[in-house]
Amino acid sequence: MIYELKVEEDAPMTVNNFLKELLTEGEVDAVIAMTETPSGKSAFPTMISHPEKLSTNVFAPLLPVSTGTVVSKVTKVKPPKKTLAVVLRSCELRALTELVKLNQADLENIILIGVDCSGTLSMDTYQGQDQDITEAVLKNESEDDLRTACLNCKDPVPKNADLVIGTFGADTDKNLFLDAKTEKGAEIVSALGMDESEGEEVREKAVQDIRDEKEENRKAFIQERSEIEGPDKLLEFFDTCVNCHNCMKVCPVCYCNECIFESSIFDLEGDKYMKKVEGKGAYKTPTDSLLFQLTRFNHMMLSCVGCGLCEQACPSDIPLMDVITGLADNAQELFEYEPGDDPEEELPLVVYREEEFEDVEER
Amino acid sequence: MSEEVENADEEFEPKIVGLLCNWCSYAGADLAGTSRIQYPPNIRVIRVMCSGSVDPVYINRALLDGADAILIGGCHPGDCHYIDGNYKARRKMALLKNILTTLGMEPDRIWLKWISASEGQEFADTVQEIVEETKKMGPNPMKERWNL
Repeated sequence: MIYELKVEEDAPMTVNNFLKELLTEGEVDAVIAMTETPSGKSAFPTMISHPEKLSTNVFAPLLPVSTGTVVSKVTKVKPPKKTLAVVLRSCELRALTELVKLNQADLENIILIGVDCSGTLSMDTYQGQDQDITEAVLKNESEDDLRTACLNCKDPVPKNADLVIGTFGADTDKNLFLDAKTEKGAEIVSALGMDESEGEEVREKAVQDIRDEKEENRKAFIQERSEIEGPDKLLEFFDTCVNCHNCMKVCPVCYCNECIFESSIFDLEGDKYMKKVEGKGAYKTPTDSLLFQLTRFNHMMLSCVGCGLCEQACPSDIPLMDVITGLADNAQELFEYEPGDDPEEELPLVVYREEEFEDVEER
Repeated sequence: MSEEVENADEEFEPKIVGLLCNWCSYAGADLAGTSRIQYPPNIRVIRVMCSGSVDPVYINRALLDGADAILIGGCHPGDCHYIDGNYKARRKMALLKNILTTLGMEPDRIWLKWISASEGQEFADTVQEIVEETKKMGPNPMKERWNL
């Protein structure tokens, strides 16, 4: 069932008030939602329990970290006994669904509030903008500034949330949609007593349109970047990689608790390096930048949700999504797997069928 | 190394890394040896506990260090000592090959074969086949790359 949130002041404030109501009515004990930092240079998912401390802006067009990772941190050891509502964008929700499958997050007592995403900006662009950047992105006026990952988003509409705050199909100066997707979500809405919306059809059409647009973008982008192949171009692409592993650290679905590349397995005796160099006669150091990238691709590609945090974290500005977007689509297509789509579906590498992939044995 | 440089004009002899499962393929290779079945000496065998335990990192490493071919040997489907390790290995290899294909990185240098403990001849034939096919492909281009 779809409801209406009347916009008072502006869209971020309206959602802020809705979250405040959740807290004051005792529907939830705390929330995690994007909040601008006092300097205005950044915004972070922030955990808030005191209603008067709420100054959220869930539409702040920035993705400094995946909230999926944050929920994993909060629930991995043991989920809270009290109720926690979390506001996430679609890519963050997809990541969280993957983390649940990986037993690295637990959604007990967690209420998931998805929010339609109009895209996010790079850290630099966000910092350089005035205060109205939220509205500009919300109204699609800054499309040229969006991050590559957002331009080619897999799906900007949240899936697997209890409630979805909808902007697509809404005039964000007047109203927002509130879509109750689960029983939990419906209970909350009925407790708060909200008005049903008549805009369901309009929303459905708007959602379909944006999905189609993104899919088209993505296909064209992959086609355009498909020339990055073969040893020459690949080595050139990764030429400026400093092997810092930032891409792995920020990746919400890079799931190993200790990455093999951060372990002592690559700490070798001097003689081993001397022997290694004999093989080729010369070796760039630190070694294994491409080995790291290739192996990381194998580990996380089937769960890649396309958030582009890897690209954003790269100190050498390697446009990682140029390669990863196509790799992810090809790999996920091969296994007919859509990460973040169905929480009940098993990860492709932990299941098998007796008769499949027989062409792999041909060679 | 120096020996290889001197013989550069001679026919290319591929270097093959074999990752063979303890329970089947490694025993198959052993049987080939004890039965005195001749096979090309191009393969360097590393024993692993299960083909399912072969993480792509090992294969990628061998590829980037210049191995001309890599053989992953496991038990026949249904015969895995750990029940389903080989099925999982097949999925991992399908993913690895898919990624290498997208990147244009010669997935055909990777071979996944099921060889049982009683198939000494099969092991010898497999090595022979890999050597022949790899000679057609030529040396691994990554062998000359120092900047990776």
